[in-house]
Amino acid sequence: MRSALCLGAATLVPGLSFAQAIEAGLTPAARGEDGSKFLSDPNWKPAFLNAPQNETLIALSDVIIPTTETPGAKEALVNRFLDLLLSIEPAESQRQFTEALAAMDTESQKQFGKNFRELAIADQIWLVTPWSYPADADPWIGEQRRSNSAQQHFLRLKRLISYAYYGSEIGQKELGWDGEFTHGPYEGCEHKGDKHT
Amino acid sequence: MAPTKAANTKATNIPRSMAQDPLQQIYDVIVVGSGATGGWAAKRLSEAGLKVALLEAGRAVSAKEFTEHMPSFQLKYRNHSPEVMRTRPIQRQCYACMDYNYEWFVNDLENPYSTPADKPFSWQRLRILGGRSLVWGRQSYRLSDVDFKAASRDGYDVDWPISYSDLAPYYDIVEGYVGITGAAEGNQMLPDGKFLPPMKMSCGEIRLRESVKKNFGRTLTIGRAAILTQPHNGRAPCHYCGPCERGCFTYSYFSSPFTTVKDALKTGNCTLITDAIVSHVDMDPTANKARGVTFVHRATKETKQVSGKAVVLCAQSLESTRILLNSSTREYPNGLANSSGMLGHYLMDHVVGGGASGTFEDLKTLPSANPPHRPNGIYLVRFRNTPAEGRHPHFIRGYGFQGGSGPHFNLNASGIGADYKKAVKLGIYEVSLGAFGESLANFDNFCEIDPHLKDAWGIPALRISMAHGKNEAALMHDAGMTAAEMLEAAGARDVRVTIGTEMPGMAVHEVGTARMGNDRKTSVLNAFGQSHDISNLVVADGSCFVSSACQNPTLTMMALCVRASDHLVERFKRNEV
Repeated sequence: MRSALCLGAATLVPGLSFAQAIEAGLTPAARGEDGSKFLSDPNWKPAFLNAPQNETLIALSDVIIPTTETPGAKEALVNRFLDLLLSIEPAESQRQFTEALAAMDTESQKQFGKNFRELAIADQIWLVTPWSYPADADPWIGEQRRSNSAQQHFLRLKRLISYAYYGSEIGQKELGWDGEFTHGPYEGCEHKGDKHT
Repeated sequence: MAPTKAANTKATNIPRSMAQDPLQQIYDVIVVGSGATGGWAAKRLSEAGLKVALLEAGRAVSAKEFTEHMPSFQLKYRNHSPEVMRTRPIQRQCYACMDYNYEWFVNDLENPYSTPADKPFSWQRLRILGGRSLVWGRQSYRLSDVDFKAASRDGYDVDWPISYSDLAPYYDIVEGYVGITGAAEGNQMLPDGKFLPPMKMSCGEIRLRESVKKNFGRTLTIGRAAILTQPHNGRAPCHYCGPCERGCFTYSYFSSPFTTVKDALKTGNCTLITDAIVSHVDMDPTANKARGVTFVHRATKETKQVSGKAVVLCAQSLESTRILLNSSTREYPNGLANSSGMLGHYLMDHVVGGGASGTFEDLKTLPSANPPHRPNGIYLVRFRNTPAEGRHPHFIRGYGFQGGSGPHFNLNASGIGADYKKAVKLGIYEVSLGAFGESLANFDNFCEIDPHLKDAWGIPALRISMAHGKNEAALMHDAGMTAAEMLEAAGARDVRVTIGTEMPGMAVHEVGTARMGNDRKTSVLNAFGQSHDISNLVVADGSCFVSSACQNPTLTMMALCVRASDHLVERFKRNEV
């Protein structure tokens, strides 16, 4: 196919081969680059978070998605990926993220007089568990229950940690991905008759 | 067994059609654009023995750069690349523009256009051999006479100059070559074609199909898509990996470089000239005929000409019209082939934004991270303003729904820790419908040349002025309501509705701006895509649409292009060109 499709390019740009012409316009993915390698670099340093923020993020991600019989967020280097994304996010998103981390410490200080990352894991779990369920709605119009801002901060962080974890190779394997891209045609509903449950 | 990559990437020897400098020839036909329509024009014309120059603004493409089997965690930013945000802020509004393939899409910094401040328009386009056929949604539906003759029924605007019977043979040709998977339904709103075996439906989809038939008398069918479900014309069937828009090494979905363009080059009659950004059509004012086109080379920025006895524009609706508007002469001061003053007007793009989603809580099928991933959805045939139902009190025309139902991982599950990890995997069985509504042809939705804006090659850029109106808003309001009703009736829970209209361009179904018609005072092209003003100038892409209907337009564009191309061949045979 290459020889068929190179006629114009070869004719019109003498000295530039088809391969070079294409190479110049390829995405890193199309060049076959594995962009995930930086995550496991032994010399990795945060690009956006400071050291305490990074530790808080690691602690929180470990509470939300711990190592069980399968690896958790810490092994998936969720903190490193989120740090990379934050480093390129607009200032407003960066601010929301660091405020959310700070809110974990504020609540932790209120309850324990310590920062979140310094708590025992059992206490970390005790602190955040109520925030991880949807708040019950208030039925009365005009008397909206004041939203719990610590919960909102927590849910923001949980969403991002979950997204980063399940988007990682470890996370994909947690979901059962077997590393293959083809498994034959889609067979649809497997039920006989008209009962689809 | 999984097909292997090596099998399909071996070089094919194709004779060089012309040993001389390709720019020194006089071609029979110059085709501008190599996408879904340009590929067809090149194929039909060169197979009929005409000498064709096929010009593409972008570079060539190779199957070696496809990324459909690359896991997203290998993308450094997992689809948040700052390079894409910087260079493709508009293009990335399209779901198909990703860290994987963004170089196929135009660089927005090099390809500007303007809009009025209160009329945003998202213009999503590719410059590469094959154009948008590399990343299209592949949904392929015929229009019916309810669409072609809509004005006669509801009094809005004008009918098309053709009937379904004029186009049906060309739908047959295109479908027969492309290969369309689908199921015949016998619904007069959506004519059946000759389909490859249909893809299967999930439990939730079957439940919804049966419910809307029983409770509403409406037709829900599996998507009709340009994807092979059995070997066809030397291409292998789909292997269900999922993300077609990143390429397909088995060429199982239809894209022009590996089908029509390949066939055209095989004839020896077609010369492909890539990196040729056409700025304007060159005229012979004495004969009132086009004599070729001028282009700027993408890399060297040199200006060059190529000569031909006829010019066929297939550059995409807005681009073809931009070329004509930039081709003004003393005789055609307001744009070439624009004695009607209609060039640039009646821009349309399907209205999207109305729909609903919910969950089938009792369906217990677990989600899977593994393929097969069906690259196709379901289609709910238009049921508003049908001949049987009569006129709706709040709007004219109608909409169709696309959607799907199946289990998904539930990242929004409550809780933390081991319980959360388990809940994510238990998943949630979702069902959703999203409408594509007719965008009414309106003179006030138009494009023109922005006098102050040029692209990186010095070519004057477009100013696009389009907004969806009251009818479109009413369609999406109705669509939100009917989608919710149908999901509820099928047993869905937690039903959520959207009723807004997204900005024009977001359907990526832009058509119109050089409408066809029988009256040269009110249309740019005749029923064969031929300019009323200039007999050897043809526009054979979506520009010619008179109305947008509500069906995805590419199949109809290709059928119209084949009809226009065959007509041009006949005229060559009769020595009329």
